[in-house]
Amino acid sequence: MKLFVLSFLLLFTSKIFAQQKEFPLDDRGKYIYYEMVEGQKVSSDSLLKKATSFVDLKYKKTFKSKTVSNAVLKAEGKSILDKSVLVANRPIGEISYHFQFEVKEGKYRFWLTDFLFIPYQRDRYGNYVASTTIGTPLETSPGKLNSGEWKAIISSAYEKSETIAKDFKEFLAKKTEPVSKKAPPRVVSTDKW
Amino acid sequence: MKKLLSAIFTIASTTCALAQEASTPLEFSGSVDTYYKYDFAKQPGNIKTSFATDHNSVSLGMIDLVLKKKTGKASFVGELSFGPRGQSQSLPSADNTYSETTNSFHIQNLYVNYDFTEQFSMTAGYMGTFVGYEVISPVGNFNYSTSYLFTSGPFQNAGIKATYKFSDKVSLMAGLFNDWNVYSATRGVSAVGGQLMVSPVEGWTAYLNVLSGAGGYGYGTIEDLTTTYQITEKFKLGLNAANYDTNDDGGGYAGVALYPQVAVASAVTLGLRGEYFKTKDVGAVAGTKYTAVTLTANIKSGGLTFIPEVRLDHNNDKPFLNKTGLTAPNAGQFSLAAVYAF
Repeated sequence: MKLFVLSFLLLFTSKIFAQQKEFPLDDRGKYIYYEMVEGQKVSSDSLLKKATSFVDLKYKKTFKSKTVSNAVLKAEGKSILDKSVLVANRPIGEISYHFQFEVKEGKYRFWLTDFLFIPYQRDRYGNYVASTTIGTPLETSPGKLNSGEWKAIISSAYEKSETIAKDFKEFLAKKTEPVSKKAPPRVVSTDKW
Repeated sequence: MKKLLSAIFTIASTTCALAQEASTPLEFSGSVDTYYKYDFAKQPGNIKTSFATDHNSVSLGMIDLVLKKKTGKASFVGELSFGPRGQSQSLPSADNTYSETTNSFHIQNLYVNYDFTEQFSMTAGYMGTFVGYEVISPVGNFNYSTSYLFTSGPFQNAGIKATYKFSDKVSLMAGLFNDWNVYSATRGVSAVGGQLMVSPVEGWTAYLNVLSGAGGYGYGTIEDLTTTYQITEKFKLGLNAANYDTNDDGGGYAGVALYPQVAVASAVTLGLRGEYFKTKDVGAVAGTKYTAVTLTANIKSGGLTFIPEVRLDHNNDKPFLNKTGLTAPNAGQFSLAAVYAF
């Protein structure tokens, strides 16, 4: 029984912590996820190539369009937000955002901003689909009736941004150039002992 | 014994192989709904469209449970419903009485799907119909009461269908189906259907549907246009128009319904449904014409939606009853529904 209560409290506490995650605002008053990484030993060109590969290959399904010019990469992304209960989950909506990457010798920075949320609803076949085509900016006040749910959406969007940022930094930190091709199948030779 | 072991090994290998493909977590969702309805003439079932039939009673809609899972390119959806709306009022073998022998099924959707490519997929099983604007689940409708077009058309189609997506703006579906609303065919796989989806501009989607073969009124063909256009952030317009003709003067129907909706606050949307509907002559028996106007609000708080609604129907042939029990050309009702989606 104690174990059950403790588990419940832990779950509840995690939930509260999860809800506390919130974006800072940029100078336009828009939510932003911003990071700057210093101490880079590889060239700016190499970092820009890696960033382009990240958008084109690693996160191919997330980013739909991109432009690259003068050490700046801009892309438009979209991620699905889920609500999980134990082993089951369901999508609650999608966020679209603007991703920007800038590089200088020895350092780079990137950010996600202009977040728009589109709620999902269940269609006649039991699938979740977008309920509208026009997204609502995450900064919009949802009113008292939906403030709790909106906070959870913002928190979930923040977690998605964190995941993208973590994957992005890891991808850029890799020593080898990113390769799009699949790794060759492992071959075991039985000719030699 | 060897064969059995071999079979088990094969199944285990297949499972293992499938397990290595991309798999989504089990998706679990659903809804519950309840309502209070007051008919202005105090006549239960005065307006004979689907659901919300009780008068001056806090009554049940249904509890709806949906499971979905995708592993690699294969997926399934299973949707079960319990309660008047999800059983006797919408499912096969329905006679408004619950019976384990004739009405013990609760299935709204039960199908498997396979995505051969990103463009081409095939689906087989029992599915919500592709025809029409409104659906059985209250989560999928703006209005709580339903239109005459919805009530008269198919609810579900069992069959097999293939969908090809040319782009995000155009897709085409074609399929072979049983007769309407049955788990197993009573007249064989006897209908063909198709759906052309076009999205000419951002926010505007139109479905052109055709279903021909065995249906609710005999053999016939239904043509249907269902479209929605999110014109601005706050204003959305929907339209449903349909024509159904059956062979040998067996009747049918035609109608059109318009669904303008405007968000008046972040949590409140107002919507109107205006409908014109007529049934066709059956032999020497003349058809009849209805007009109906429904004003509905959706007030959302998290997963909960309150749906207050006023509805006024008119028919010159006096199919309704007034307070004294005499036939009347007009009927009206107020309802308040609560729908929780999870």
